[in-house]
Amino acid sequence: MLVGRVPSRHDLDASRPAVLAALAAAGIDRALTGSLRGGLFDARSGNDEVLADPSPPLIGVGTVDLRDALTAETELVRLAGAGVRVVRLFCAEQGAEPDFPGLRHVAALTAAHDLTVLTSGDVRRYWRPFAGRGARVCFLDVHAYHLADFVLLARDEPGFVASTRLLNAPDSIERVVAEVGAHHLAYGSGLPRFDVTPSALRLRLADLTSQDWATVSHGTARSWLTT
Amino acid sequence: MIIDVHAHAGPWFFAMDVGAPDLGLDLMRRYGIDVAIVSAAEAVTYDVVSGNRWLAEVLAADPPDGPRRYGYVTVNPTDLAAAEADLTRYLPGGRFVGVKIHTSYPAQGLGSTAMREALGLVADAGVPALVHTWGADVWSLLDVLDAHPSLRLVAGHMGGPAWREGVAAAVRCERLYVEPCCSITDRGKVRYALDRVPPGQVLFGTDATLIDPAVSLGMVADAEPDDEERERMLWRNASELFGIPVRTA
Repeated sequence: MLVGRVPSRHDLDASRPAVLAALAAAGIDRALTGSLRGGLFDARSGNDEVLADPSPPLIGVGTVDLRDALTAETELVRLAGAGVRVVRLFCAEQGAEPDFPGLRHVAALTAAHDLTVLTSGDVRRYWRPFAGRGARVCFLDVHAYHLADFVLLARDEPGFVASTRLLNAPDSIERVVAEVGAHHLAYGSGLPRFDVTPSALRLRLADLTSQDWATVSHGTARSWLTT
Repeated sequence: MIIDVHAHAGPWFFAMDVGAPDLGLDLMRRYGIDVAIVSAAEAVTYDVVSGNRWLAEVLAADPPDGPRRYGYVTVNPTDLAAAEADLTRYLPGGRFVGVKIHTSYPAQGLGSTAMREALGLVADAGVPALVHTWGADVWSLLDVLDAHPSLRLVAGHMGGPAWREGVAAAVRCERLYVEPCCSITDRGKVRYALDRVPPGQVLFGTDATLIDPAVSLGMVADAEPDDEERERMLWRNASELFGIPVRTA
């Protein structure tokens, strides 16, 4: 989840109170939350916003700008030192292609600092910079149409996770769990840019065991914070 | 009462097990959808004649009680002879109530000559058409509607990522309806449509069995429609457009 402003949607209220209200209305207890300012304009001041307000139910997520991987080095050190455990990368929004040196460098740094990465972008392409590092990465835009490619990746990468947000065919969530296990899924709403009830309703009605449902709905995300 | 004007039947080529003919009925029961108008995935993506024939057999085998499915005759704009034959074959029986036309699989854009000619056939057939729209070229439908004064079109996906354009186009013509189903649920787009499109032109669709109905029902819920908006969007507008009889409590 993100807070701030959405330049392409000035009609959206993406402020902290607004997203908190949306979370509460959907019955969502906690949310990993990053800064839109940090991802779309200035990473350091966006991270300052996150670090200044760590109060529940929001759990702060840092970011670095992939267009300037030199400052990313120092910013990641600062975030890790401040206790941040998860970093949101805006690969798609920042136009950082999977083979760009900056992204490769940041992928190596996050793995070295034992940080979990949440990233936008097509998993069929953005898996590359993170593979083979033992990285923990949640791909936020895995679509039901790309499920087979994600399962193939997850077989080799124990730390690769898909957000459930776009796994919206009638059997997508259940199929990933059956193929590679519930620990390869985590619930994501996409707030404030996406309606929350579609993804929340789909997960609430998912045909999973109670243990698998708990893993997908919060267990996987909790593991990122305690690892 | 819920009428889903954008549904499918049959297998897709993605990693999903949704090919069973009865899956659509199962999903309708699960989500309380009373009526769905479906097209055959095979007809949309590959062989229009074979797919339409398969769908006719599936609909004929549906149980008499419970959710009710109607059919779209899928038309491929590059094969108007087959389209004319299938319209003649299936529409008179009353179980097929409209036409489905995609753009990407037959590789014919909304502004193409083939599309205009196909929609001319639809106008002659006197039924509405659900047209796949995915971009600002949804505006092209206004030219076709202008050329055929009796034609009624549904902008499937409401323009997709260009949903503002779908809404703006529908505002310009009372015979252009919007149906906003999409796997990508941009926040507030249903509310955006309800606030701008005349109330008789907003329809409900799911894209099931390709997409779980939870997605579209969730978008409607997040739009917080009032009672009249809900009734019109979820069933009344579709009932009037497609001539589908409904039983209300």
